[in-house]
Amino acid sequence: MKLSATIRGSTFGFGSVKEVLARANPPKSGDDLAGVSARSPVERVAARAVLSQLTMAELRAHPVIPYEIDEITRLVEDNLDESAYNAVKHLSVGQFREWLLDSKTTGATIRSVAPGLTPEMAAATAKLMSNMDLLVAGQKCEVVVRCNTTLGLPGRFSSRLQPNHPTDDVLGILYSTREGLSYGCGDAVIGVNPATDTPESTAEILRELHALNTRNGVPTQNCVLSHVTVQMKALDLDCPMDLMFQSFAGSESGNKAFGISVRLMDEAHDKMQRLRSSKGPNFMYFETGQGNALSSDAHHGADQVTLEARCYGFARRYKPFLVNTVVGFIGPEYLENGPQITRAALEDHFMGKLLGIPMGCDACFTYHAAMSQDELESLKVLLGAAGCTYLMSLPVGDDIMLNYQSSSFHDIPSVRGLLDKRPTPEFDAWLHAREIMVGSKPGPRFGDVTVLR
Amino acid sequence: MNELSRTRDLVAQLRRQLGENDPLPPRPRPQEIPFPPVRVFPTPARRSAFAEQAAAHTTALVGIGHVGTRYATDVVLQFQAELAVAHGAVAAELPGDWAQSKGYVPLVSRVSSHREFLLRPDLGRRLSPQSLQLWTEQSRKDIDVQPILADGLSAVACMGAGPELLEAFSAECQKRGFTVGTPACAKFARVWLQDEIGQVARARVAVILLGERPGLGTGDGLSAYLVHGPRVGNTDGNRNMMSNIHARGIVPADAAKRLAVLVQLMLEQHTSGVGLDLAPRAAELGEAARGGYRAPQARSRLVEV
Repeated sequence: MKLSATIRGSTFGFGSVKEVLARANPPKSGDDLAGVSARSPVERVAARAVLSQLTMAELRAHPVIPYEIDEITRLVEDNLDESAYNAVKHLSVGQFREWLLDSKTTGATIRSVAPGLTPEMAAATAKLMSNMDLLVAGQKCEVVVRCNTTLGLPGRFSSRLQPNHPTDDVLGILYSTREGLSYGCGDAVIGVNPATDTPESTAEILRELHALNTRNGVPTQNCVLSHVTVQMKALDLDCPMDLMFQSFAGSESGNKAFGISVRLMDEAHDKMQRLRSSKGPNFMYFETGQGNALSSDAHHGADQVTLEARCYGFARRYKPFLVNTVVGFIGPEYLENGPQITRAALEDHFMGKLLGIPMGCDACFTYHAAMSQDELESLKVLLGAAGCTYLMSLPVGDDIMLNYQSSSFHDIPSVRGLLDKRPTPEFDAWLHAREIMVGSKPGPRFGDVTVLR
Repeated sequence: MNELSRTRDLVAQLRRQLGENDPLPPRPRPQEIPFPPVRVFPTPARRSAFAEQAAAHTTALVGIGHVGTRYATDVVLQFQAELAVAHGAVAAELPGDWAQSKGYVPLVSRVSSHREFLLRPDLGRRLSPQSLQLWTEQSRKDIDVQPILADGLSAVACMGAGPELLEAFSAECQKRGFTVGTPACAKFARVWLQDEIGQVARARVAVILLGERPGLGTGDGLSAYLVHGPRVGNTDGNRNMMSNIHARGIVPADAAKRLAVLVQLMLEQHTSGVGLDLAPRAAELGEAARGGYRAPQARSRLVEV
């Protein structure tokens, strides 16, 4: 294994695969903060050159956190599909990138090898890709999942309706929900981040959302994004829970900071298997985001892109219905500006899809990040073109509880119109029956909340 | 016919099909465009029944209508104004002489520019060498509570309700018989800076009041973080916090009372954060917090032409 490369007479050597992976990243303020980023643009290219020659087998043998000290590494290693792995193990990262981009490689062939890929392989490939590469390869991957509705089919573009409220006022949540549904949003999930993390309020919000969906025949899923232990207690209160949520990090110590472990998530998944209100077979919902391990000092000297991919390695154990990166929420110390947030969103989408995850994205910024509203709107179109499974949707994109800017009720039908995309087939049929949409165009009742009771 | 001439014929045929020199149909005759219906950001006087009902329960911008799939012009301007206010609050810096003019000991973290402040939380958590010396010289030592005012992510909030909150909080502490440290005001400060400032003053509890990350149309909210046994190396698990301190959230007077109760609990239990049991003073906390709950703020028009 050669860990050095020479560019115009200067030789750059690297101490480990982990270091090569980190130095190969495009600029990210979080990698600077961790002290793992390339020290010059030329060194970055040298790291990429080294990375392009490493084989998939070498990446498997050198996870960024050792097997002995991290349960996510163990989970990935112990559950890797050997026959799928054997199909790719001899390829270098550079060759694997070319195979993905080759016109003869289809979504089906990518799907055939996905269970044999480790997160490090997905991250390594992303580092050799430009934004356009990430769009092209990400768009090719096919990941289709089913709960009450069928998500991720070709030509579809879905949204989570996010009717958050600073004091969990249920009527306030329902007003936002009705407005969003009238704009054709909410086919992936109607999901509330609660202000109060208690089983009782979780159960109450779930009941109200379930009642609204039942009353109006809306084919979708409900979810309250409280901590998984709170949701497990809420299930004991006999409430209708379609999806169960949790935030993930890419290392055992990062997950410990989130108050979770593989064992706890196994338990939660089992409980949901028995007590959920939805059809399934997919019913888990996870959120991730570059930088979340470093923020709890749980990054083990690895870069934030590789750690993000490891979240998907964890997530795929539970065959989730939804996974999305909350890309711009973490703040400028991890992703400083529009180009960094855009890049991270496209990387995360590609890596997740490659690993077989139904990847969505919360395309967003906080008000102290250097991203403009125009840049954010552009990112939504890029994600739509990349085949991103879903985006968020809020009134004017403004989260009045979490104080950040995401995508809006108006953005979802706009992107659908631009790219000729439709919501899930079940939700599409409902929108047509209610005359909210006619084909891919707004119908006579578009934006008319009186359509909903 | 050879390959080349066949292709040439095909291209010529395509050109004819696409309309020779004019690939578009004839330009339609222009018709005067009627004035569109008035679509405004909902104000109490002009909103729909739905917007009216919703406004009693949420500040979310609902009932705003649409043009095609996009926003009406008035909504765009309201949004841009709110965004500009938020960005302005983030970009504002505490003027160098402000702390002194208010009678606080002026401290600065190891951060030297606004951009560095955003990118390097580690530097915002430690005092600059000069500030460390100044604070060592000027701070009252061996005290119960060290109050600190700081810019955080909104200097606007710090300079707005900051002094009122600091004074009310100090008064509440004195009322309870706690010794209160020399008031300090820190620039380019992160929450954890309270550890070093409190450690130098040998304070039993350190309380930092700092501007919170602005939301759309806001930028005047303060948060308070409290830690027992301030020392460099404490983590978030050691802290208690209160957010949303502003005129439309928890008003400073109420926040001050509640914070003083938290300090009392910490002094009694010799701990803070996850280990702190709020139950012994739940009633007092509730009493102090009672006035803190407000109906959601009204969203006001920012743009008038």
